[in-house]
Amino acid sequence: MVILKLLSPRWLGMVPKSGDIRSRMRAIALFLLGIGFIVGCHWITIRVLRHFQQAQDIGNLLAYKLLSILMITCFSLLLFSSVLSALTKLFLSRDLELVHSLPVLSESVFQARWFESAFDASWMVVVFTVPVLVAYGRVFQAGMAFYGLMIIDMIGLCAVAAALTVLLVLVGVLAIPASRLHSLVLLLGIAAFVGLYVAFRLSRPERLADPETFSSVLVYVEHLRGADAPYLPSSWCTEGLKAALGNRLAPALIETGKLWSFAGFLMGLGRIVAGKLYFIGYSRSRAAAVSAVQVSGGALNGLYDLFPKPSVLRGLFVKEWRCFFRDPSQWSQLILIVALVVVYMYNYTALPLNKVPVRTEYLQNLLAFLNMALAGFVLTALCGRFAYPTVSGEGRAFWIVRSAPCSIRRWLWMKFWMMLIPFWVLGLVLVVSCNIKLAAGTWMMGISVFTMTMVTPAILGLGLGLGAAFADFNIENANQAVTGYGGMVFMIGSAGLIGLVLVIEAGPVHRYLVSEIYRHRHLTMWNWIGLGLSLTTVAGMCIGTLIGAMRYGERRLVHSG
Amino acid sequence: MIELQDVRKCFGSQTAVDRLNLNVKPGEVFGFIGPNGAGKTTTIRMIAGVLMPTEGRIHICGWDMAEDPIEAKRRIGFIPDRPYLYEKLTATELLQFIADIYGVDAATGRRRAGELLERFRLSTRATDRIEAFSHGMKQRLVMCAALLHDPDVIVVDEPMVGLDPQGIRMVRDLFRSLAEDGKTVFLSTHTLQLAEDICHRIGIIHRGRLLAIGTLNELERTAGVSEADLERVFFQLTESQ
Repeated sequence: MVILKLLSPRWLGMVPKSGDIRSRMRAIALFLLGIGFIVGCHWITIRVLRHFQQAQDIGNLLAYKLLSILMITCFSLLLFSSVLSALTKLFLSRDLELVHSLPVLSESVFQARWFESAFDASWMVVVFTVPVLVAYGRVFQAGMAFYGLMIIDMIGLCAVAAALTVLLVLVGVLAIPASRLHSLVLLLGIAAFVGLYVAFRLSRPERLADPETFSSVLVYVEHLRGADAPYLPSSWCTEGLKAALGNRLAPALIETGKLWSFAGFLMGLGRIVAGKLYFIGYSRSRAAAVSAVQVSGGALNGLYDLFPKPSVLRGLFVKEWRCFFRDPSQWSQLILIVALVVVYMYNYTALPLNKVPVRTEYLQNLLAFLNMALAGFVLTALCGRFAYPTVSGEGRAFWIVRSAPCSIRRWLWMKFWMMLIPFWVLGLVLVVSCNIKLAAGTWMMGISVFTMTMVTPAILGLGLGLGAAFADFNIENANQAVTGYGGMVFMIGSAGLIGLVLVIEAGPVHRYLVSEIYRHRHLTMWNWIGLGLSLTTVAGMCIGTLIGAMRYGERRLVHSG
Repeated sequence: MIELQDVRKCFGSQTAVDRLNLNVKPGEVFGFIGPNGAGKTTTIRMIAGVLMPTEGRIHICGWDMAEDPIEAKRRIGFIPDRPYLYEKLTATELLQFIADIYGVDAATGRRRAGELLERFRLSTRATDRIEAFSHGMKQRLVMCAALLHDPDVIVVDEPMVGLDPQGIRMVRDLFRSLAEDGKTVFLSTHTLQLAEDICHRIGIIHRGRLLAIGTLNELERTAGVSEADLERVFFQLTESQ
């Protein structure tokens, strides 16, 4: 009962208040978008599984292997997000002081927080895994027992992950302060993800689809027959679901029993350990949070002297730079960007262009053209991560900016100019390097550079402007700002802009490529005018988006005060 | 120095501040008192340029906050009630940042930062990150930041929250000396004794409206009590509404 009461602020806060039409509309829009993703996941899985089933001997093996990979991935994601969620909910949340001051046992606080943490860490994984599993049920024509066990097993897997990580966290915070442990886990998680991602891509999995490497496929089939690690909870889950798919209820129940008995054991153990350690760990994390850190400016001080003195630009730039590089949750994401760019460029090196029955010169240029969309999407993702949350990232210290003799417009545009150069350079690296790899023509290189030069500021402006318009200065983690309604508007707006730019440029670019490759078809004057018009339209649209979004953000920010 | 003309602030259908008219002169310490939710912080935030009034005009040293916010803000040192700062910066770096934003040249900025950190007993922690500071230390650092550019007007919301007795005495002396130097201090407080001790004039606000304004003697006459302290005057005025 006490636990439910402790959880009630969370649920009460989520209930839409009367007259709050805007938040209802946001909730509906997010719900519809989520439904779209879920239906998409379900549909793609059905397509993939039906495609597998066409391969007579190995079809089911491939489907089961995919299930096994899915479960291992889910379990890894659950473990990772559970560690971060448990650290935040149990040790770092702002409201913990209030909660611990209440006349309730710290065990009750722990249990309420554990439920909250387990839910936060798991709901997204479950929401996106269930449609995939339902697709398995449909393709394998499983009975109702499969769907029931699927839900029970998924909840069991989440419970195991949450209980296991909370044990690690309870012991971990005794050795390392909670805030540092949080940063450390984040850093290790990113490093592990980057390592796996790069290793997977460099192993060239596309070769398995190549008939010329059929011998390796046979080796692969042998590997598919091998069993998964038998002591992993994700393996119990996989085996249970496989049995349920084949309508073998008894083995399915045994695997589910293993999963739940382990979950029960861990939860019981967690409760005992928490009774002994939770409050000690919590108290320690409070004390460690204010440990003094002596800081010498080091290399950053050199930056300070590069600007004219005194200037608002210098103040802002140095402040942003210092805050960014002193927060591991910020700078560690740069590792992800490097990995993303490396794999991005590698993808173009590994393209089997010589095996495609289309004239290569045309294909090279076509790919270079489409590559602009991919580069645009990469920039959108990065703007979503770095530009969109930057205004919310000011947090409750935003009063300093508001009360400073610097207009919100100037402040916002300074943020824009500070970010533009790295984003523009990255955009150019993505298109130019791939154009070189693809041996695209000089003309296409020119179009690519022009388009990226136009699109990059527009996407960045959209991110910053909408990030300012939908700024949340009370959010505990500004990086999560993009997951809200404003972030969704930004993602859709940016994707729409990229799509429009490509649609506008597609016709003239196609006509030019055809005239270049099939030399007898020369471009007419009207074709040149069409090209000029399309490029002018793109430039106008991008500048309009940039200015419009920044003005909108500025206006909303000014009037929010 | 500070002039408010028919200032009104509404949050939706709720009026937080209603037709407020005030004039605070140079060298004056003006206290703004009232019960919780009376509109003190809203008024302070509008004067500091952090919040836009729904109606009315605010002038700081002759500069209109709506038309020339930059010039108006350049003349203000704002001390909010809760000291939220950039936690990853050190105290010195924060003051460097403030110096840049307010256009204080590097040499003067360094000198004044050193003096203020010394005065507010923070010089030994100058190179510590702000995240390692206690609430009171952050509050003192905010005061350093507010005074760094030598503003003509100091706007303070609840100056004593989180300060130790030594800090309270220091702030009391500081406001007095600032006023002697011709600066204007506008402060809101719940500490009636502080208002009584250091304020030249006091305004009492209740439910967004200014109930009374004047020296303590003038307020006594308005409240119809004689030889009373500010506490009695305050309750007499606010409870009769």
